[in-house]
Amino acid sequence: MNRTQAHRQHPPNAKSTHETMVDGHVTITELEKVYESGDERTTAIEDFSVTVPSGEFLGVVGPSGCGKSTLLYLVAGFLEQTTGTIAVDGDPIDGPGTDRGVVFQDYALFPWRTVMGNVTYGLEEKGVGKEERRATAQRFIDMMDLDGFEDKYPKELSGGMKQRVALARTLAYDPKILLMDEPFGALDQPLRESLQDHLIDIWRDLEKTVIFITHDVEEAVYLSERVLIMTRHPGTKKTTVGIDLDRTQPREELVLSDEYTATKNDVWQSLREETTPGGER
Amino acid sequence: MCGNRFGKKRRPEENAERMSYADFRLETVVETIPNPLRRIVRFAFEWIPIAIVAGLWELASGTAVSSEILPPPSAVFAVSWELLVSGRILPHLQVSLYRIGVGLGLSIVVGVALGVGMARVKPIENFFEVFLALIYPVPKAALVPLAILWLGVGTETAILIVFLACLLPIVLNSYNAAQNVDRNLLWSARMMGMPAWKLPIKVVVPATIPSILTGIRQAIPIAFIALVSAELIASNRGVGFEILRHGQIGNYTSMFAVLVVISGTAFVAVRGYEWLERRVVTWT
Amino acid sequence: MDVTRTVGLDRNDAIAAAKSIYSLVLLLLLWEFVAQYDMVHSYFLPPLSDVLATFYELTADGTMLEHAYLTFRRAMAGLLLACLLGIVVGVLAARNRIVGWFWDPIIEVGYPVPVIALVPVFMFWFGTGDLPKIMLVAVGCFWPVAINARNATREVDENLVWSARMMGTSDRRLLRRVVVPAAAPGIISGVQIALPIALIVTFVFEMVAGGGGLGHLEIQGVRSFESAQVYASLIAIMIVGFTLDRGLRYLRGRLLAWT
Repeated sequence: MNRTQAHRQHPPNAKSTHETMVDGHVTITELEKVYESGDERTTAIEDFSVTVPSGEFLGVVGPSGCGKSTLLYLVAGFLEQTTGTIAVDGDPIDGPGTDRGVVFQDYALFPWRTVMGNVTYGLEEKGVGKEERRATAQRFIDMMDLDGFEDKYPKELSGGMKQRVALARTLAYDPKILLMDEPFGALDQPLRESLQDHLIDIWRDLEKTVIFITHDVEEAVYLSERVLIMTRHPGTKKTTVGIDLDRTQPREELVLSDEYTATKNDVWQSLREETTPGGER
Repeated sequence: MCGNRFGKKRRPEENAERMSYADFRLETVVETIPNPLRRIVRFAFEWIPIAIVAGLWELASGTAVSSEILPPPSAVFAVSWELLVSGRILPHLQVSLYRIGVGLGLSIVVGVALGVGMARVKPIENFFEVFLALIYPVPKAALVPLAILWLGVGTETAILIVFLACLLPIVLNSYNAAQNVDRNLLWSARMMGMPAWKLPIKVVVPATIPSILTGIRQAIPIAFIALVSAELIASNRGVGFEILRHGQIGNYTSMFAVLVVISGTAFVAVRGYEWLERRVVTWT
Repeated sequence: MDVTRTVGLDRNDAIAAAKSIYSLVLLLLLWEFVAQYDMVHSYFLPPLSDVLATFYELTADGTMLEHAYLTFRRAMAGLLLACLLGIVVGVLAARNRIVGWFWDPIIEVGYPVPVIALVPVFMFWFGTGDLPKIMLVAVGCFWPVAINARNATREVDENLVWSARMMGTSDRRLLRRVVVPAAAPGIISGVQIALPIALIVTFVFEMVAGGGGLGHLEIQGVRSFESAQVYASLIAIMIVGFTLDRGLRYLRGRLLAWT
């Protein structure tokens, strides 16, 4: 596996030393997931191996139904694999754990808790004291520009705000790995772009490992250091494409640059083979 | 993006995964059994708890509790069967079903007219809504004594109570549905030249039928409660009265047996109606 | 079945209010007129003024309150018992395989039984005091509470459960922390469905078996040809029904401010 190509000058600070960090790297080996319902056996994921070094932002794209979400839920520990191993920092996972935090497409906020109550939930479960809990939560609420909405219930918020609460909630209990399941899929374009930029900032500041599922190639290329392309049915890794872009320039210039367009086309080309009938296995 | 085939396929898999904790059907064991037998095995497995409860009851009766107080289910079902076969319960069942039929039938006719009328004509709504709001929180069985004052003890009282009890669910369902009739439907009917006075019959009521049927489904169990209440308090015939009578003369096994007959009738009525609804309303 | 939404009782607009109650005022006037001039025998329809006078008398000497209290106590004790058992059984039946396996068919069989028909049975088992009434109310209310709790729990969004687990909630705490709060709207709907059942069972039991209570007071009026007492008891029954219905709605609003 060509890991060196994943390197790039994404954060301007010394972020290019993935190998020296030990926290939050994910190793997936020979993963297989078969669903059984009645007489039907469907292989969702097959022969899937990948290593995500700590601190990496990995985008995963694939045609719908290729098992992207299944992959994410397996890593989260919500589902159990049929064979193979998933290890975080060398230890095989056993069910969900606080080292991994999922951000769902439909937010999955607790509707009976306020914004503050949602963000403090993970800290309550950790046994953090009330004062500290509120202070930490407030920090992430401010980070997500949600100050002033602490006492609102989820039903009072727009979709974009709900997703920011969900992000704050996940960040607040400080998982090393963020697992994101098309988190911006239900939002409209401008909102989505601003949240994408927000996410990049957070990722730089907090040094998380991110696995980001999306069906949107542009989103994957714009955000990721490396994009993993999945085949469909059964889902398996087709290839990974390293993204080497000059992130110092603002979004408007970046998306017009030749290197961006070229990379995007590479990913597109690879994905298109999966989606057109001719590319079916 | 890519073919629907796979998009579709993913659903049942995920559902199966998510539901697994709620549905315990011994699938793995059942799968080893040949197909025609599976249904039977599954059915038997699902009904084991009923057998356990009935078995405990049978054991307790005559040992832990006197069989006088808690007659064994075997005896109760034997007597129920005997009541039906000998025809001794049939006159009472007939009276009760007549009361339910007339009361429910009246409430459907009046309820649909009232519901649709209130939804489409403001003065009708203004006139009747206060009465509905008043009787809504009153348990209809509490009106039995009043019905006795007016109609005496007997069939008319039972019919009135069944009628009143069933009226509200039917009115409310048809009212809500008639109010939410798709405006495009009304406009297209007008556009095609239908006069305004024909709209309620030709468009509103047909569009409201699924909700009316829901209202009737809700009303059937209510009808049985109302019927039995009325027959316990103010009747000298009918299945409700029969329970009371057997209890009063100390014929407890028969009392339980009549109870089984009533429950069976209510069960058949609800299930039968649901079956009929599925057969008749094929377009929803 | 939301009457207050369709029937605008809360409307502030005075004109609208007048429009919506004029029919009731007319009917009450007609009642008084017809009865005063003996166009209907007073056994069927005593004048409204007599009914109100009787209501006042019975309330002033404490009779009405005493009976209302008996009814209230029986209905509420039974309902409370049904809620405790029904919610536990319903939630566990949805979350636990064995509990679900055991209870699902029992609920299937028990729910359609017209519980009111058990009045003579419970009289025979437990006599005519408070106990049989409370027990039968509990039996009658158990089914709707349990079914609604079970269905609401089944429908809890699995993503919420997963969210909680990834944030470190143990399986044991999951019920209290996530499942029950998430299912609360459906659970409370079940209690709201059970409330009229509690009242029906109480009233009918009181009418058949006696032992005090508004149902007993009402049927006594019939037996002693005191028509005004029948109507007066009905007014009290209306007030009790209305108050409990509103109380439960208020409680729902308070508990479920987030919905």
